[in-house]
Amino acid sequence: MALPLHLNPDNADCTCPLMDSKAGNEATVVAITCGEHDARRLRALGVYEGATISVVGKKNCLLVDVRGTRLALCSGLALGITVQPLERPSIA
Amino acid sequence: MTATAAPEPRTAAEPLRVAIIGNPNTGKTTLFNALTGLRQHVGNFAGVTVERFEGSFKMSDGRRVTVVDLPGSYSLSAGSPDEQIALEVLLERDKAHWAPQVVLVVVDASHLERNLFLTSQVCELGIPVVVALNQVDAAERAGISIDVPALIHELGVPVVPTVASRGEGIEPLKKALFIAAGLPAPARKFEIPTAAHDVLAPLAAQLEADGMAHSAAQLEALRLLSVTRGESHLAHVEKYGELITETQAKARESGLLPEQLEANLRFKWIRGVVERTVTRRRERAPTVSDRLDAVALHRVGGPIVFLLLMAIVFQSVFTWAAPLQDWIEGAIATLGATAGTLIPAGDAQSLVVDGVFAGVGSVVVFLPQIAFLFAFISVLEQSGYMARAAFLMDGLMRRVGLHGKSFIPMLSGYACAVPGIMATRTIEDPKDRLATIMVVPLMSCSARLPVYTLLIGAFVPALPLLPGLGLQGAMMLAMYLLGTVTALAVAALFRRTLLKGPVRPMILELPPYRRPSLRSIALAVWQRCLIFLRRAGTVILSLSIVLWALATYPKTAPDAAQPIERQQEVQLANSALGTMGHAIEPVVRPLGFDWKIGVSIVASFAAREVFVSTMGTIYGVGGEDDVALKDRMLAERSADGALAYTPLIAVALMVFYVYALMCMSTIAVTVREAGGGRTGWRWAGISFGYMLVLAYVAAWGVIVVGRAMGFAG
Repeated sequence: MALPLHLNPDNADCTCPLMDSKAGNEATVVAITCGEHDARRLRALGVYEGATISVVGKKNCLLVDVRGTRLALCSGLALGITVQPLERPSIA
Repeated sequence: MTATAAPEPRTAAEPLRVAIIGNPNTGKTTLFNALTGLRQHVGNFAGVTVERFEGSFKMSDGRRVTVVDLPGSYSLSAGSPDEQIALEVLLERDKAHWAPQVVLVVVDASHLERNLFLTSQVCELGIPVVVALNQVDAAERAGISIDVPALIHELGVPVVPTVASRGEGIEPLKKALFIAAGLPAPARKFEIPTAAHDVLAPLAAQLEADGMAHSAAQLEALRLLSVTRGESHLAHVEKYGELITETQAKARESGLLPEQLEANLRFKWIRGVVERTVTRRRERAPTVSDRLDAVALHRVGGPIVFLLLMAIVFQSVFTWAAPLQDWIEGAIATLGATAGTLIPAGDAQSLVVDGVFAGVGSVVVFLPQIAFLFAFISVLEQSGYMARAAFLMDGLMRRVGLHGKSFIPMLSGYACAVPGIMATRTIEDPKDRLATIMVVPLMSCSARLPVYTLLIGAFVPALPLLPGLGLQGAMMLAMYLLGTVTALAVAALFRRTLLKGPVRPMILELPPYRRPSLRSIALAVWQRCLIFLRRAGTVILSLSIVLWALATYPKTAPDAAQPIERQQEVQLANSALGTMGHAIEPVVRPLGFDWKIGVSIVASFAAREVFVSTMGTIYGVGGEDDVALKDRMLAERSADGALAYTPLIAVALMVFYVYALMCMSTIAVTVREAGGGRTGWRWAGISFGYMLVLAYVAAWGVIVVGRAMGFAG
């Protein structure tokens, strides 16, 4: 979780906040550092440490796919979720 | 049922008690409806405002089953008030001590992994479980097939595939409930690592010593591990506080992460179960829902679709309900008149006709609007669009400290505050919900319309402003805007003072779009109407009688020489209500109002539109004759010869009506929805009080500013 790696989400070895994860990429949840109450809600919805999720869209909130379930995560939550991208993004 | 009731059936005649639980959007309520049909009863869970739906059905051999629909829950550990209630009921800790003998877990076949989290928790409660694998048709279409025998083996409980919306699998499900009732309760299917087990042992032992079943105590210990202190809704945390902190500390010492432990263990097991039982025939492809969302959540397209839908809802609640409302009004008038002919003329007749029928009638008239609004809300909810609407509005509503879901109740408030307040039930956070309840009545409802129409028609000149918009129309629009802007401002104020608290970040599931079921919509509308008639009806009936008595007593000997209208006016002026009008005249005088307006305001406490009919009575022109009333008001002069009504006074009066909470149905519903009992009355009192102050100050402000600008008043 060294800071410079945040700037380079293309690197599959790095971790970054879910917010910076590229749309369409699968990523593994590494850490959930938002409030414990919200973290519990997230885990119950399938966003737990080790889960595979992907960002499907960024509107005013983040749209995330969790095993076929579409979740909208708003206002800062996506900053409290650290993920590790599973693969390099395809060239757009 | 007593507190000590055993969960086994005691006699053959006693119905089997079944609790239904499941994630939101699994078709849980549809399944509940398919099982029980119309044999449902809506109440509240003891001591809380969360609704408790209880139903029953009979097997072909005469055995009976009662079913309680527990609130939609993603888990037994997330700690939302709804989930807390579900847990209390399942652990037999709720105040009603209704203990289920079988728990029916409704699982969405398309999202087995997420749904199994709750299922695995429920399976550890020490109660027999049946799993309804619902919406298997949708899963099939998505290329997902589930090996049911393998799943039965993995979970150790009966699993029945169902399609609740088409009634498929319901009969086997009913049989499975009885089979499960005779089976031993399932147990946890995964091992807790020894290190964790040792850490948890003292807490689990304590819970078990306090009367919890062995497996439930294990579950609860694991659950409590992730609890942070100071959450008021977790009733038993206080008691075990020290033990929990100790356990958490020990867990950390052993290198475990107490917050994540439960989720990690469960999902590790669940991933294995899913691998062994679920086959995906193809990769996830963009679905119909995805394509619809591309429009519905689009930066530009989304709000347009949203506004269009809302315009349709709003418009139809107004226009489609109108003929029905007229019909109900007519029917009640006819009924009242018929009842009147059966009773000899006199006070008893007047009580029935003018008190009971007119009073209750003025409220029952809103029934069509409530029915239409809830039909639309049900369609929006069941189709899955409601979640998108909340998503779209979240940014705007968050700015005033409300939730995206507060928008629909506020919009409903334009039609009528009563269904608007009832619609706040979809908001989970109690503070968000209360703040919404507090401001919904500020949205100008249809009952203010007759007041605005009368006053604007009489006192605002029909000058053209813009093409298609005259001064009269602009004035009407201004009244609606005034209410709306104030509602947002007041919400922000409440969230910073009385209802202070963090705005919960939105975690919202966007369920796949579905075609709504007609049957479920009809049921929802029917239940809402029934609640409205029963609850609001009792309060309104009594208040109507009180108001009637105030307007009727003490009696004035009629002066036969006077025309009947004049007799009525004198009677009203001398009645208790008239006395009150005179008494409050000094209070309303600064607003430019005379005692007659005072009386009308007092009388229209029950319902705003009564203002028009009371003014009609006072001026002796009959309630329905708007034109004659306008002429009388325009000609009315006060004792010193000045005009009693000027355009400025009319505007002040309208502003007063924009703000004042003059509607007993709204108050009755606020009491109920804000928590009932003393809490409910307190909030209703706050609502009524702040709106009255706001109304007075704003009307006074209009007069002061208006006079300073040189307007007569």
